[in-house]
Amino acid sequence: MNQEELNNKISEIKAKLIGYEQPLANRIYLSCEAENSYALNKFLFEEVPLRFLIATGIDSEDCFEILYHYAYDQTGCVVTLKTFIRDRENPSVESISPFLPAAEWIERELHDLLGIEIKNHPDMRRLILADDWPEGVYPLRKEAKK
Amino acid sequence: MSWKIKYLKKSPWVFHVNTGACNNCDIEIVDLLTPKFDVERLGIKLVGSPRHADALLVTGGVTAQAAPRLREVYRQTPKPCVVFAIGACACDKGIFTNGYHMVGPVDKIIKEIDPNAIIAYVPGCPPKPEAIISGVVKALSVI
Repeated sequence: MNQEELNNKISEIKAKLIGYEQPLANRIYLSCEAENSYALNKFLFEEVPLRFLIATGIDSEDCFEILYHYAYDQTGCVVTLKTFIRDRENPSVESISPFLPAAEWIERELHDLLGIEIKNHPDMRRLILADDWPEGVYPLRKEAKK
Repeated sequence: MSWKIKYLKKSPWVFHVNTGACNNCDIEIVDLLTPKFDVERLGIKLVGSPRHADALLVTGGVTAQAAPRLREVYRQTPKPCVVFAIGACACDKGIFTNGYHMVGPVDKIIKEIDPNAIIAYVPGCPPKPEAIISGVVKALSVI
């Protein structure tokens, strides 16, 4: 599959996206709401298929963002799916670990540091905070004070 | 000078403790043991247990998870012993000063349980192997 075919394949899901950008031939940014994240990730990972790199969590004042990064190695293309979580009080998103076990640890880290609830995660234990770190304190949130 | 201090200085055995370092200082400590610097010729030997050690080489500003372990390792080390804070982070938390997980630096954690502890500082990010050797020699010549 060359780059053009990859673009066509990804444009099959345009109905569920709220943004599509391609600043370079081999760099694609997709944006979506949290409720569509599971289906879109499943499409990117199983239908295209892309290789999962990592996820990034961002606290951007009015919402949380999770960026799922994928690579397509035949053309060197990197695809990023931005997921917006609008509910700041109880942020939650569907886990992608049931079909993508490699995402287990990064989802645990997102839960530790930003307090985003990952629904249906197979093994939601604390990953990187200290054992005696208080519950409900999320160090990478904007309101967290030293 | 007590006989304990006298024999401590003759051939210090060291135990290496990483309390949240980025691994750079640890590589420099490993460098000390390789043939180029070879501190074993000076009687400085890396040992596998704090119970056998005369000195602790501590790298890294202390994280919340590592602090109780550092206290435990210090308790297990026979006294008198020297604590070497290796690198900028161990001396004063370095670039991690504002990190949410930092409870150090090393001297603060050690002095909580032993106010009279002997602590030597080797700054640098990372310190050169020569600097570590020089720090050990200077520290042993003043105690």
